[in-house]
Amino acid sequence: MSLHPVVTAEQELEEVHSDVVGRGPWALAWRRLRADRVAMGSLAVVVLMVLIAVFAPVFAHITGHPPNMQYHQAGLTPDGLPKAPNSTFWLGTDDLGRDILVRIAYGARISLGVGVVATLLTVVVGVVLGLLAGFLGGFVDLVIARLVDLVLSIPFLLVAIALVSVSGPSLTITVLVISMFSWASMARIVRGQVLFLKEREFVEAARSLGASDLRIMFVDVLPNVLAPVIVYTTLLIPVVIIVQATLSFLGLGLPAPAADWGGMISEAQNYYTVAWWFVLFPSLALLITTIAFNLLGDGVRDAVDPRIDRLVRPR
Amino acid sequence: MSDPLLVAEHVTKTFASGAHTVRAVDDVSLAIEPGETLGLVGETGCGKSTLARCVARLYPLSGGSVQFDGHDISSLSSRRMRPYRREMQVIFQDPYGSLNPRRRVGSIIGDGLAIHRVGDGAERRKQVQHLMEVVGLNPEHYNRFPADFSGGQRQRIGVARALALRPKLIICDEPVSALDVSIQAQVINLLLDLQSEFRLTYLFITHDLSIVRHVSSRIAVMYLGRIVETGTVEDLFTTSRHPYTRALLSAVPPADPDAADSRQHVVLPGDLPSPVNPPSGCPFHPRCPRRQDDCVATMPPLEPVLDDDPEHLTACLHPLRTGEDLHPSRQDGAA
Repeated sequence: MSLHPVVTAEQELEEVHSDVVGRGPWALAWRRLRADRVAMGSLAVVVLMVLIAVFAPVFAHITGHPPNMQYHQAGLTPDGLPKAPNSTFWLGTDDLGRDILVRIAYGARISLGVGVVATLLTVVVGVVLGLLAGFLGGFVDLVIARLVDLVLSIPFLLVAIALVSVSGPSLTITVLVISMFSWASMARIVRGQVLFLKEREFVEAARSLGASDLRIMFVDVLPNVLAPVIVYTTLLIPVVIIVQATLSFLGLGLPAPAADWGGMISEAQNYYTVAWWFVLFPSLALLITTIAFNLLGDGVRDAVDPRIDRLVRPR
Repeated sequence: MSDPLLVAEHVTKTFASGAHTVRAVDDVSLAIEPGETLGLVGETGCGKSTLARCVARLYPLSGGSVQFDGHDISSLSSRRMRPYRREMQVIFQDPYGSLNPRRRVGSIIGDGLAIHRVGDGAERRKQVQHLMEVVGLNPEHYNRFPADFSGGQRQRIGVARALALRPKLIICDEPVSALDVSIQAQVINLLLDLQSEFRLTYLFITHDLSIVRHVSSRIAVMYLGRIVETGTVEDLFTTSRHPYTRALLSAVPPADPDAADSRQHVVLPGDLPSPVNPPSGCPFHPRCPRRQDDCVATMPPLEPVLDDDPEHLTACLHPLRTGEDLHPSRQDGAA
């Protein structure tokens, strides 16, 4: 993209009109996103993080250190303290003599995995309930809207702690707890959009053609709410990652010895005066990932701006 | 005469608006013969579009009944309504709002075919491209989005969508009022060509009287949710009986500007009253230059007046005689 510094509006218009296929709103959004350097940089970081997560075993292989292997001799000082970064342990070791680099790589699997799965679950539940509430109205709307109010009024952390301590920490319960408390805002956003959209004439047109409610909801209305949904989704992922780390930090994450970022930061609490690397590197991983997702989300929001006919973004 | 394709009897539609009830359509009866065009005219807010949506069963009726092709469709469930939807289509007013911005044109036009499972994908595509040709669009633009088209082209897309299921009746709800005048003529002529080609019946709603004269065989004039006069185009344009019709028609610009002198301009005082609180008696009486005392108390029935033929109905207690002018000052003198 950087080789084509300025694309004028006329050139873009010409391109759109000489192309019989026609550029859809999504194609135009992608084109705008591609022109956004910050967003593309963030996307690169996100992709890098995903690669680190996917190829975590490669890190273990290269260093020769399995994620849960405790090196009591090589990995700890004679005093039994963590070792600083060196040629064997590139990012140092933790209090049990485990390789922090390898554990960060494995932790990325948990963070990104929970982030994506919990977000997707949230989105599906939120979108479907929001669609139903907004489109069907009446009793359905009443029930769902009250449910949304209820969920949004519950103090999340308190209930999360209670639920996890009752059922015991596990990946599934983490995902479920996070989704249970995040779908409401999504449902609210979608419901608002649907209320506006269902009064549009194209919905009436579909009805006059004989389309069923279900078809109108998913074929005609859903594609029109996807823009805010996608924006919200990208911005939800970092929130979920942080929430997951928070739960782990509080001891409600995965049972030991699983490596995850929140848990690592938690373990590092007692050592930060003597082992800065122990707390710094997992925190950096968390920080970089969430910042990248947030900046990407901002870029996506600009790209799928409702003013879809705006071809050139001001720089 | 053949059986009417569409019969509306005493159709009433009310909307609850807070504590008030709005009678948007009030006891309207009309019939449309196969192959004809019934023009429905009236001011903005008189209930034309609401009536159209009631007839098309896009709104549930508050009262009365609608029969399509001899079948009462006024209380069918949406499932049992589906076979009738194929035969009765709507062209909407707003070419921007009525096309889904996120769907490709081919999929919009073929929507009816997909809903009613006509043919397979390839067959539908062929039909859609044929339809695009019929309405004057380039079939190669099948995969474009509505945003790539102008207002007139978008309305052609709407026409193609309405035609796709080969309906008998098309309800045109102000199909050209959102378009430039030069484009209006093209779309109107397209609709007329399609009518003769596919033997279509139109319920044509507009507030543009020159258009209604051009396209209609019969006209119904609505005022405040009621039909005040209905008859053939000739009857209404030569011997309109209702003062409102006369005032409305006086606003039609003449085709020949030099002959404009023969027209009598009537400017009605006041605005359309609120349907929340309609006037007593004849709904037109507060603005009527011929108002007399009984107009305030008595609702005039829609019936033939002054030995008109039975097709020409007027709801007025003091209809205008043939050749009589609608002249407020003379009326004051006579009263």
